[in-house]
Amino acid sequence: MIKSVKHSMPVNIVVANGLEAKALVKMLELERNHASAEFVEYSNPSKLRLLVSGIGKEAVAAAVTYLGEQQVSDDGEIRAWLNIGIAGHRDAPLGSAWLGNKITDQSSGASAYPPQLIEGFEVGSVVTVDEPENSYPLDSAYEMEASAFYAEATKYSTAELVQIFKVISDNLENPISGIDIRSVPSLIAAQAPQLLILIERMSAIAQQHNSNQRLPSYFSEVCSEIHLTVNQKLQFRRLCQRYKASGLEEELGRADLKASDARALIQQLAERIDRISEA
Amino acid sequence: MFSTIYIEEEVLEIQRVRNLLDRFSQVPQVICDRYGEVFNRKSQNFRLQKMAPALILAKKYGNKVLAAPSGYGYNDSKSYYFSHMLNCVYDCRYCFLQGMYSSANYVLFVNYEDFEKSITEEIEKNNGGGVYYSGYDCDSLALEPVSNFCSHFLPVFRRYPDAELEIRTKSTQVRCLLDIEVVSNCVIAMSFTTSEAAVQWEQKVPSIEKRLEALHKLQLAGWKVAIRFEPLILGAEGLAPYEALFAKIFSKLDGQKLHSVSSGLFRMPVDFHKRIVKLYPDEELFARPTQTTDGMIALKSTEENSHLIAIEKLLLNYVSSEQYYRCG
Repeated sequence: MIKSVKHSMPVNIVVANGLEAKALVKMLELERNHASAEFVEYSNPSKLRLLVSGIGKEAVAAAVTYLGEQQVSDDGEIRAWLNIGIAGHRDAPLGSAWLGNKITDQSSGASAYPPQLIEGFEVGSVVTVDEPENSYPLDSAYEMEASAFYAEATKYSTAELVQIFKVISDNLENPISGIDIRSVPSLIAAQAPQLLILIERMSAIAQQHNSNQRLPSYFSEVCSEIHLTVNQKLQFRRLCQRYKASGLEEELGRADLKASDARALIQQLAERIDRISEA
Repeated sequence: MFSTIYIEEEVLEIQRVRNLLDRFSQVPQVICDRYGEVFNRKSQNFRLQKMAPALILAKKYGNKVLAAPSGYGYNDSKSYYFSHMLNCVYDCRYCFLQGMYSSANYVLFVNYEDFEKSITEEIEKNNGGGVYYSGYDCDSLALEPVSNFCSHFLPVFRRYPDAELEIRTKSTQVRCLLDIEVVSNCVIAMSFTTSEAAVQWEQKVPSIEKRLEALHKLQLAGWKVAIRFEPLILGAEGLAPYEALFAKIFSKLDGQKLHSVSSGLFRMPVDFHKRIVKLYPDEELFARPTQTTDGMIALKSTEENSHLIAIEKLLLNYVSSEQYYRCG
């Protein structure tokens, strides 16, 4: 379904169980990736990743940490994070779905508020519980991972790019005890049009952010050739940004700027851009 | 207009809030305990939030009227500022708010009566006087149709004719002023940069022409009007953009009738600048050489002072030296 997408999609999706993953694997044309012994993992050539965490807050936090630590990069690039899963609500129809705009951890009482940049989606609150909830006291989607997912994923990305999407699988008329788990993939699959738009938009925002932050290739070339201390690397990074922002990226590659010593290189670069900018 | 409206539970039943929620009933509304749960959290990104800002309705606790920073203002009277709102609907690349907050959402403090009480207490402490600035952490007029700020606070200042209120703005929302009798101790201070700077760094701001038209109407109606040339950012074009800007402004407005005119160079605290650079590493303005003095960062220019003097000389062709001050 997402075959036409050729560009990079820096998006991580985390689901609690394999049945939730099943529909997404088909929808997003993902393939099993056997890199992890701990988690079931899928990916596609567009950098989209899907991880099956297991049920509950601890499991999802571990899954996010696993993925986030793998993806930490020097270049400041970030990825969008999306938790997709089923939830219960007292009277919302089965199959209805929304983005969480308030995520409350029932055990601590703390709430988080994912910023809502993407229009056109139903929104609502989500309550994360430690045990399955049968009475649904509030007008919220009850589930078991969102609060931990949000808390953990915002350590690796900006809050605007961490979102929770819940599909209602049970309510007072159709209690959790009576759920036919075989229906879970179809509940998720029915949200394909919405989910594809959501993933595309989150990906587009992440890509735009990464493009704004992207350093000239000269930065990594020099870093691989000469040793820079942490402080020198920061100075050098900022100088590369200044050249790029000033439209002087080509100046970076000039032959007379190929000093072998980091300190001398930084000094040359700084003097040159200050001279040009002040002129 | 807003992606979401967050409402502190404590203000939910205030009539001002009920009216807003009824008016924006199509916007998702989320109840929170305190606005700090939503606003200015770590892991938030001002630049991204500017894509779809939310409105937060909150109650302001603590000091509501603060002493104005030194060098901020046009006379020696005691001066103060108050912020009924945090953040601005415009998106100016040079603005310090980008470095002050990690969130671009608008916080509207709806307990106007508490602000009113603090303001009147301060006025009375100053024997009915003092200068009060609004628009330091926001644009006071830009969200007037939502906030009704003027409707509430102008009558307060009308009661204290020796106290002065300055409303700093880039907005053309002056209908609320034109529809009422002039408040003689209220100054509408409009900020301008050159056309070139406006195109390059001011997003969503009304054009210079529209702002001038709004000021012209106010001046004709008898309102006190002031001009703020801030921030002055000198480019390769030198003084020519300022010559053009001054000519445009003073062909439309009566310079002699202006309450005051001021200028101020691009300056901000170093920490704010650092945060802004992280948000906008691709922005040419922040790639320019800088210099730091007493924790404040400014653009480095050997000719800054001579340029500033030249700009002031140009300006004094249109206004008197008594009307002009340099904002520190």
